[in-house]
Amino acid sequence: MTPKTRTVVVHLALTLGLLATLTSCACKSENGGGDGGGSKPAIEKGEDGKPIKVLNYFRSAAHKSLDPPKQFDSASAELIDNVYDTLLDYHYLKRPYELVPNLVSEMPSLSEDGLTYTFKLRKGIKFADDDCFPEGKGRELNADDVIYSIKRFADANINTNSYHVLLKDRVAGMDDFRAKTKEAGKGADYGTLDIDGVKKVDSHTLTITLKRKDPLALYAFASSPTAIVPKEAVEKYGDEFERHPVGTGPFVLAELSRRGEVVLKKNPNYHLTYPTEGDAGDKEAGLLEHAGKQLPLVDEVHLPLIEEPQPRMLEFLKGRIDWIGLDRDNFTKMATKDDKGNFTLNAEYANKFDMYAELRLVNTYYSLNMKDELLGKNKALRQALAYAFNTPLYIEQMLNGRGQKLHSIVPIPIAGSERDTKAQWYEHNLEMAKKKLEEAGFPNGEGLPELTIEYGSSSTVARQNFEFQRNLLAKAGIKVKGGFQSFTAFLGKVETGNFQIASSAWAADYPDGENFYQLLYGPNKVPGPNQASYDNPEFNTLYEQAKYMPPGPERNAVFAKMAEMIKEDVPVILSVNPLAFGMYQKWVGNMKRSMMDDAPYKYLDIDIDAKKKGVPE
Amino acid sequence: MSYIVRRLLYMIPTILGVALLVFFLFSVAGEDPVRIALGSHASPEAIAALEAKWGLDRPLHMQFLGFLGQIVTFDYGESFISGEPLSDMFAEGAVVSLSLTLPPFVIGQVLFVSLSILIAYYRDSWLDRFATAGTVMTMSVSYLVYIIAFQYILAYQLELFPIRGYASGLEGLQYLVLPSLIILVVSIGPNVRIYRTVFLDEMNADYVRTARAKGVGEAGVLFKHVLKNAMIPILTYTVVAIPFLILGSFLMERYFSLPGVGDLLISAINNGDFPVLKGLTMYIAIAYSVFNLLTDIAYAYVDPRVQLN
Repeated sequence: MTPKTRTVVVHLALTLGLLATLTSCACKSENGGGDGGGSKPAIEKGEDGKPIKVLNYFRSAAHKSLDPPKQFDSASAELIDNVYDTLLDYHYLKRPYELVPNLVSEMPSLSEDGLTYTFKLRKGIKFADDDCFPEGKGRELNADDVIYSIKRFADANINTNSYHVLLKDRVAGMDDFRAKTKEAGKGADYGTLDIDGVKKVDSHTLTITLKRKDPLALYAFASSPTAIVPKEAVEKYGDEFERHPVGTGPFVLAELSRRGEVVLKKNPNYHLTYPTEGDAGDKEAGLLEHAGKQLPLVDEVHLPLIEEPQPRMLEFLKGRIDWIGLDRDNFTKMATKDDKGNFTLNAEYANKFDMYAELRLVNTYYSLNMKDELLGKNKALRQALAYAFNTPLYIEQMLNGRGQKLHSIVPIPIAGSERDTKAQWYEHNLEMAKKKLEEAGFPNGEGLPELTIEYGSSSTVARQNFEFQRNLLAKAGIKVKGGFQSFTAFLGKVETGNFQIASSAWAADYPDGENFYQLLYGPNKVPGPNQASYDNPEFNTLYEQAKYMPPGPERNAVFAKMAEMIKEDVPVILSVNPLAFGMYQKWVGNMKRSMMDDAPYKYLDIDIDAKKKGVPE
Repeated sequence: MSYIVRRLLYMIPTILGVALLVFFLFSVAGEDPVRIALGSHASPEAIAALEAKWGLDRPLHMQFLGFLGQIVTFDYGESFISGEPLSDMFAEGAVVSLSLTLPPFVIGQVLFVSLSILIAYYRDSWLDRFATAGTVMTMSVSYLVYIIAFQYILAYQLELFPIRGYASGLEGLQYLVLPSLIILVVSIGPNVRIYRTVFLDEMNADYVRTARAKGVGEAGVLFKHVLKNAMIPILTYTVVAIPFLILGSFLMERYFSLPGVGDLLISAINNGDFPVLKGLTMYIAIAYSVFNLLTDIAYAYVDPRVQLN
């Protein structure tokens, strides 16, 4: 060996040695070794060494605040829902979504004048053990806790966001109370400030009096910002209470790492049982096998923060995550939609996993600015646009079929939607689009200025969506350009009415059509949620009438008239009711995707024997 | 000593300038964090309440003075989003990020210098050509491709490493190996190319010829003369990179669920968490200035020709 060759060999050996040192640290995990590698999922064991049921899911974003009225993000709501309880809840299995008792023993009774609800609390419900209580033992929940929590919810210094959506202008004296807390500043004394409409009757009963008959008011008490908190914990932990939840919910927080793993442990004293009835077909689907059983069904829920789709999917394929949603790219690879509109997993995955496909309680639409000099004054032009858009083609080409065309502004699963009103939106028709364009004074699009569609994103997806619409509208003779900007810049344009067409969407605050028809109520015009600034007095009157009507055929008839007006005036172009599509492991039981409960951990079950076998080959 | 004091004083206007720029970017020209937090259709009442809570209702000059106070005291307050003290968030994140970036950095320096000196020694040989082509090729591939491919092949297919995860202490080592390995692999190309050029420049210098003429062996030339003289550019390149180690690698941290500073930074951008953004930006500005000074001081020790004046 020459000296030169020896030098080369020495250098290469040194290099390889360094790499080997680095890689030798990699511990190839044992089969199912915890959070690490392995081809089969781990079967976790309890303190007694016996297997326990653990639901392994994930968080795609870190939570912000675990104080119920302070939350303003879904990541926080998903944890709050499982640690705290609300007075009411949504039935897990029944559709359309219906309210059921949670902390109350029965649905609230309504007084003869239709204004006062009486809430009777279940007896024996206890807060989780915590140092804030004497000797660390959780005490029984009572009416004072509910009143205290409602006051916190209404406190202007605490709740910055959800109050105006859920209870503003609904409960007698609540708006006045809120104004007084604002005057008093942080730390307002609830002992000296009362809400006229909220009264304690006895230790487990309270009444809530509304300003007017309002059948939708109860939805607020199923929403997690109104969850019940104990005064002792709020006072003991102060600002830390946001990170130290103490509730009566199905789980207690065992580990809380905002950017690491959150671990929930079963609350052994939880008061709810699995529903004993569901929709037609639920029993056959095995969704009632746990009917009447104590909840939660799993012992623990593990929720690591996994922000990127690839590691989430790889962990799911290995069986270390029990449930995952499918994005557009993975959907293309893993699932198909048949000619009848049914979704199935491709053969490679069908034997390994189960799936769900459920319409979300979300609408997507384009707002046409009625204040715009051109669009606002030219109904025929707006109708031409409605004929030119081709939502079914958009769904097939851009969403891989993961959605349904909307015929009314209300998402299809919600009371008051097209299922109830039989509303029909425009069908794509180029000839009619051209005819309407001519009627609008722009034959073949001649003389029509280029219109701008605004998007609150500059992502590839937004640009692809725009390109699709641009090509489509061009066929009708309508030229459009895209306005791509940050979300806050988009809001700045929309809320000042400085736009022509805006890509819009609304997610249900509660599952009722009213929550969507308010998007076109005149007084809600910008900067409110009525982005189109549509202001039709007849429509407004019908909305005010429907708002306080109980759901049913009479209200549906009013909604049907409103849907017709929207179709005639075209302040919006309806687009898609998107579909939530996901897969779950064969060992996960009771999966029925509820769009009113993104974290239904308490209802889900884990079949340990099936899990031991791992993901089927 | 007077040089060091003078350089430290020069840092004050620099840092003030950076502070002004950071404040302008985030508080004046940047997106509104309240609207990012509350989303669309937030009521004016909700917006006003959150602005008051976050101190954004104060006049801009008062906000800037408050920011300067934070820089002086190194106390950037609390995160808008989580309410946690930033000092705790930075400290926790820095441990993770340093655990991720420091090993490949240290190993990398030894590896890059060794490889580069070897390649430079065999310049124009098959090894040099192969290495040059290899480094160009590895540099042409996106960082993201390495992450996705390594995670899929080494962690998912071959199960050599965990797919993702983090644990504190020694248990966490297993989760750091793959991302650290990727950082090392990705940095081979650019570093080896730079170091090779540095060594080639030195090898062609007059003093090398003189040393060889005097009968100094190749090993002596390489390690006693070339390596020592190449230290200045290598030192510059290395020392100024140190402050950035704490920032971690946001892509790596996101793909491998490592709760480091890089991931913290990206989350702060997405959420409009300005205290985090301001704090981290100022940290980088100050640390960069300090490490630049340290580099200059270090020159004097490695190269007697350099004098601090």
